[in-house]
Amino acid sequence: MSKSKDNSDGKAAVISAKAGVKESIIDFLKKAMDKGVFDAVLIPMRVPAGDSFAYVLIKDKTLLKDGVPLSPIMSVQGAKAVSSVTRLGKGKMKIAAVMRPCEIRATIELSKLGQTDLENTTLISMDCPGVLPMSDFLIDPEKNIKIFNEAVQKWDDAIMRPVCQICDKSSMIAGDIHIGTLGAKKDTFFIISNSQKGNDVMDKLDIVLKDSIDSWQAKVKNITEEKHKKREKNLKDLKSKIGGLDNLLDTFSQCINCHNCMKACPICYCRLCYFDSDKVKHPSEDYLQRAEIKGSIRFLPDTTLFQMGRMMHMSLSCVSCGACEDACPMSIPVAQIFSMIADEIQGLFDYVSGRDLDEPVPLVAYKEEELHEVEDAND
Amino acid sequence: MTKALKINKSAEQGVIEFLKALLENGKVKGVFALKKISNDGAVAYSLITKPNELDNAVPFYPLMPVNAGKLLSRFTLKGSSIGPVAAVVKPCELRAFIELVKREQGSLENLFFISSTCGGVYPLKMSVNGTVEKNLTKYWDAVKKGEISADLRSACKGCTEFMPYTADVTFDLIGNNDPDKQCVVFLNTKKGEEFAKGMKGEFLKKELDRKKLDKFKSKREVEKKKLFDEIDAKMNGMDGLIDIFGRCIGCHGCMRVCPICYCKLCEFESPDSEYKPSNYESDLKKRGGVRVPPGTIYYQLGRLTHIGISCVGCGACDDVCPVDIPVSIIFKKVGESVQKMFDYIPGRDVDEDIPLITFEKEEFAEIEE
Repeated sequence: MSKSKDNSDGKAAVISAKAGVKESIIDFLKKAMDKGVFDAVLIPMRVPAGDSFAYVLIKDKTLLKDGVPLSPIMSVQGAKAVSSVTRLGKGKMKIAAVMRPCEIRATIELSKLGQTDLENTTLISMDCPGVLPMSDFLIDPEKNIKIFNEAVQKWDDAIMRPVCQICDKSSMIAGDIHIGTLGAKKDTFFIISNSQKGNDVMDKLDIVLKDSIDSWQAKVKNITEEKHKKREKNLKDLKSKIGGLDNLLDTFSQCINCHNCMKACPICYCRLCYFDSDKVKHPSEDYLQRAEIKGSIRFLPDTTLFQMGRMMHMSLSCVSCGACEDACPMSIPVAQIFSMIADEIQGLFDYVSGRDLDEPVPLVAYKEEELHEVEDAND
Repeated sequence: MTKALKINKSAEQGVIEFLKALLENGKVKGVFALKKISNDGAVAYSLITKPNELDNAVPFYPLMPVNAGKLLSRFTLKGSSIGPVAAVVKPCELRAFIELVKREQGSLENLFFISSTCGGVYPLKMSVNGTVEKNLTKYWDAVKKGEISADLRSACKGCTEFMPYTADVTFDLIGNNDPDKQCVVFLNTKKGEEFAKGMKGEFLKKELDRKKLDKFKSKREVEKKKLFDEIDAKMNGMDGLIDIFGRCIGCHGCMRVCPICYCKLCEFESPDSEYKPSNYESDLKKRGGVRVPPGTIYYQLGRLTHIGISCVGCGACDDVCPVDIPVSIIFKKVGESVQKMFDYIPGRDVDEDIPLITFEKEEFAEIEE
């Protein structure tokens, strides 16, 4: 994916969506399949019982009409779906993956970490209003789908997950093609190409990239600034709540070590986590010794150590998607905490996870002139 | 006649006094029990070595943050406990541990088991916002009367195995008329008798009141039938399975908290279960679309096959499921039907072999034919 740094004029087309935005997006995908641009499309679909949405790799075009480009929940992070399809090779099929911006960014991180092969995959993102908390959604799926769709119309994020409400990258273009619905005139949307791969798709579909996206950019800028402000405020509040070891221990005191957060995390790709390995299994005397020193230890011990360890391992690539928080049975605000730390640590390296495939993950990129202040502190 | 000890304190107080005495007179090196660990009321299993730390212990708290069988396995995985440790566990946790010991995932040596007739526990979710704490009076009221407390986890509502099989001592909680003032501890083993020696209280010769417990059991049977019937109605062939498990997000939390699922690397997370691009391609030749990641129902059925024979119905899987699939009821229902075929009750007796590793020549001839 060779990235163009400039997404302005000449990279976009206004598409008519008289039949509705969702329908027109599906129509776009269908045309692309008709012309053989894509052999299959990876897109969320409602499950047969109707109480959830799942990614489905569709080859039969007639199924496309049931695709839901903006599902109301994130049941599985899309990057995990792309990785499942391409981790062991790019395959023979040309695939379009329709996902949220944070899912695309996680996919790009996984690609840097060798967990996807994107050569035959085209990443298509959309402006994202956020998703509903899974537990809220499940109370009444039918009703909540309606509520979600109404909220999308108004672009109102009050009912979305807390981490979505403070997402300042909800229209970030990192994939090949982006569908912009913000700032578009009635019954239209923008289709924005962000790579050579994207340009090639447009060529084959005779879509001429000649339109201005000024109105999209202006609207996105507005929303992003608003969200950013809220983000700074909320994260500051969160920091005062969880700062210091005692607060941190209290925050994670409800953790039951199920590691659902890690399993739902798109970045935690290790097959066997260090914290599930033999390294954390000790003879009874070790546990008893530790207990004797303190009078009592929580069993298992090191619950907070797992959280800190996971944070160290993945926060440089954390895309703040919120999958961890959705999966936590104890309602610990994991995603908000990890997102806060991710901001700070990525900021140290001027790195934004998933922004650009060509940007190496900082910990694998050695720079001699970097972080001298840390060295000096030890002199 | 079994020996018993009557303590003139509430069960919660009585067990703490019992544990304190064990620590103080050096009969045990440590105590393994539920304890309040934070200001906001989080309760977790703890390994306690100092008697005063027991002040915050809540051994009979109606919550199962983690199945203790799993934790005791971790404690004794690398060898039996170096010193005597008293563990206060629920009957299903004890049974889970016994199943793990059969699988060489732990050791009974040096462990002293304190259990109780168990009134069940609340869903973990209720501990997050402090609802468990608020419900405690209601809970103990119901237990005292030998009734099923409202809002219990469904796994507990329908649990008929609320009496421990192999505990050294059993606190009788269900139908204890005077739970605030006194409790009775049954000393089931030599070890139990020896550990109780010198404790404050009155030693009696007494049996557990079977009639009272049978009455309670029949109430549980009714609930169990209801739960099983509900699942039966839904689990109708492949379509039923798709309906029930369709919302599974593949977090495998059920497997991770399951005391029986001890594998370090699950088959369903191994390279063998991974789809290659060619698998997707060939699947898509047969079907118009494939769910990604694949194998949602395959995983559930696979796990069911692997652990059904030893499922103790503890309900940990329900507690952890982020999409509220009634995993434990399904597993308990199928598990019991397999267990019945072999007349096997998981965790009843450590010397009873797991049926699937025992070859009996004269068995299931009807299937062969």
